[in-house]
Amino acid sequence: MITIRDRGARGVAVLRRFSRSTTMTLLCVVLAGYVALGVASSGSFFEGPSVRTFLQYLATPVLIGLAQMIALCVGQLNLAVGALGGFTACLMGVLMADQGVPAGVAVAAGVLTATAVGLVTGLFIVATKINGFIVTLGTMTILLGAQYRLAGTRTVDGYSAGLRDLGRAAPLNVPLVFVTALAAAALLAAFLYRSSAGRRLLAAGGNPLAARLSGISTDRQIVLAHTLSGLLIGVAALTATASLPGVNRSVGGDWLLPSFAAPIIGGVALTGGSVAVLGTVLAAFVMRLIDAARAQFSLDPSWVNFLIGLVVLGTVVGGRIHQTHLEKKGSSRGRTPPAPPESDAQPAVVLPHMGGAR
Amino acid sequence: MPVAPPDGDTNTAEATASRPVHRLPFWVNQRLGLLVLIVSLSALFGVLRPAFLDERLVLFPLLRDISTLTVVALAQMVVLSVGHMNLAVGRMAAFGALFAGFGYDRLGLPLPLGLLLCLFAGAAIGALTGWIITRTGVSSFVVTLAMDFALLGLVSLLYSALTENAAFTTKPSGLAELRSYSLADICVGPVCGSPAVPQLAQFTVLALLGLGFLYACTRIGRELLLTGANPAAAELSGIPTGRRVILAHTLSGLLAALAGFMAAVSTGTFRASIGDDFMLPSFLGAVLGGTLLTGGVVSVLGVLLGTSLVGVIRKGLDLLGVGLESLNIYLGCVLLLALSADRVRTVLSYRKVVRST
Repeated sequence: MITIRDRGARGVAVLRRFSRSTTMTLLCVVLAGYVALGVASSGSFFEGPSVRTFLQYLATPVLIGLAQMIALCVGQLNLAVGALGGFTACLMGVLMADQGVPAGVAVAAGVLTATAVGLVTGLFIVATKINGFIVTLGTMTILLGAQYRLAGTRTVDGYSAGLRDLGRAAPLNVPLVFVTALAAAALLAAFLYRSSAGRRLLAAGGNPLAARLSGISTDRQIVLAHTLSGLLIGVAALTATASLPGVNRSVGGDWLLPSFAAPIIGGVALTGGSVAVLGTVLAAFVMRLIDAARAQFSLDPSWVNFLIGLVVLGTVVGGRIHQTHLEKKGSSRGRTPPAPPESDAQPAVVLPHMGGAR
Repeated sequence: MPVAPPDGDTNTAEATASRPVHRLPFWVNQRLGLLVLIVSLSALFGVLRPAFLDERLVLFPLLRDISTLTVVALAQMVVLSVGHMNLAVGRMAAFGALFAGFGYDRLGLPLPLGLLLCLFAGAAIGALTGWIITRTGVSSFVVTLAMDFALLGLVSLLYSALTENAAFTTKPSGLAELRSYSLADICVGPVCGSPAVPQLAQFTVLALLGLGFLYACTRIGRELLLTGANPAAAELSGIPTGRRVILAHTLSGLLAALAGFMAAVSTGTFRASIGDDFMLPSFLGAVLGGTLLTGGVVSVLGVLLGTSLVGVIRKGLDLLGVGLESLNIYLGCVLLLALSADRVRTVLSYRKVVRST
């Protein structure tokens, strides 16, 4: 987890902190889990085709986790992740299969539409001051309807073979869609950690009042966060369309819960102001490992949800215990301050004060 | 009725309305607006499609759905009153229904005992959620989200372990009657009730009355609201906020389980998919009814009105021939429009009040 404070840290201190961080724990879990799964499958899990399938279906969880993370970082929630992703995937599919639009144009139109929906959501939240939770709940409902209207009950699969080949292409056994997801994560990390616009985003999420007093428009940051979230969902929809055999109205239906699980396991605070790009990517890895293990031992798919639920609960409870432990030792540095239990909700309808400012 | 803590948020419409000096115009009352909207929409649909007013074929199932979803929205409202959220309402409903089905199928329980078991299971899972939130201090959003994941897996696992085709189909005596009887089947002498009102609604009425009494007349209800409005102030004034939070989550689990039981009764089978589509209506009903997401303000009657409005719109559009696929689009637009209108109305009314004082 990286907060503004971490910037000045150097050398040994960085290493020591890193060794105790969520990212490090996740990295160990990923490596141990991967090795254990490989041993359990007597080596077949390390072979080319297994690795390729594993990485191919990792791209979408990484991207939707990042899309949720960017909304969380300004203290917003985006419930429309799955609906927007499904709608965009269906839009691309229908444009290519029914309208005969070339693949490149259809993909660009899809990603642009997703970004525009994110922008409109952000503008609506800022203009009406209604809680982002409720607004995205509304856009989620609208988009679900729109997706159903586009795709109906059929599965759209007659789209461009070129895009499909691109989705399956895997130079050096690393699928292109996975490379796309990693590139998006790297760009996002560079934006958040190295650019002043990214720092403004984090500042607005960490302490809106302080940000406003230092001349940062929190409204603009909220709009920016939702736009970026929409863009990432558009890319996620692209990877899903490219790697799935066809798109229908159930695409995106099971994206919402993993999109929250990845940032939370990765160590992002729901209160805003903190991001963990690497943590989110690794958390998506962990969830994919659980899924792969489920397939390996041919268990009921319900085990995946059950285990992910326990992992999320374990992460938050463990993080809290760790923090109390640190506070007892009197060295509670480098962690986010304890959040009051009610901090997940923002004013639903921000009423003007009695002075009548509005 | 809108209920706000007596000395809590003074900048809410409800609190202001109770003071004669700063009296808001009557059209600001959200509940009244909702009632007018429901009546006029029902009349409109009735004129456009006379079938809308068919008591047995349209109104009876409509009211049965509204009864169930009102209980779901009440389950959400109780946690919203302490400023928390319950994303696991649907899964808690499925969890409760699982126990009821298990009781009927394996233990051979009579109808009321199965319902009790279901309510007990719901309350227990709610209490566990509340306890985790209080002990760890993690936000309720995360904990209930994780709970949702865990129960989603657990309930399907239990169903596939306990049954052959993932559903309990044993029906105890009385269940079919509860499902299909309306007030027309209860007669006092020669006077019979309306065939439109289902018997299942008795649970909803009980829940509404119970919660209305809790929030309006009891000390614990007031303490719940104060915990939601300002946890620090509540703690300092000697309210055991931790225990109140656990109580709210327990009640939420109990109501969710009741809703799960009602949903199972109206579909006739106890299966894992019960409660899949509960999350959206639970927030719609509560928020349209005037309950604040920040906590401290609830409206028990508003929940009923908000849920009814959604139900009427859904059924009406369905009868008008708007396909299932477009229905969600309109519902989402209605939610956003209603909330924007509400905000505009509040701002306007405040301007008026400020100008007049």
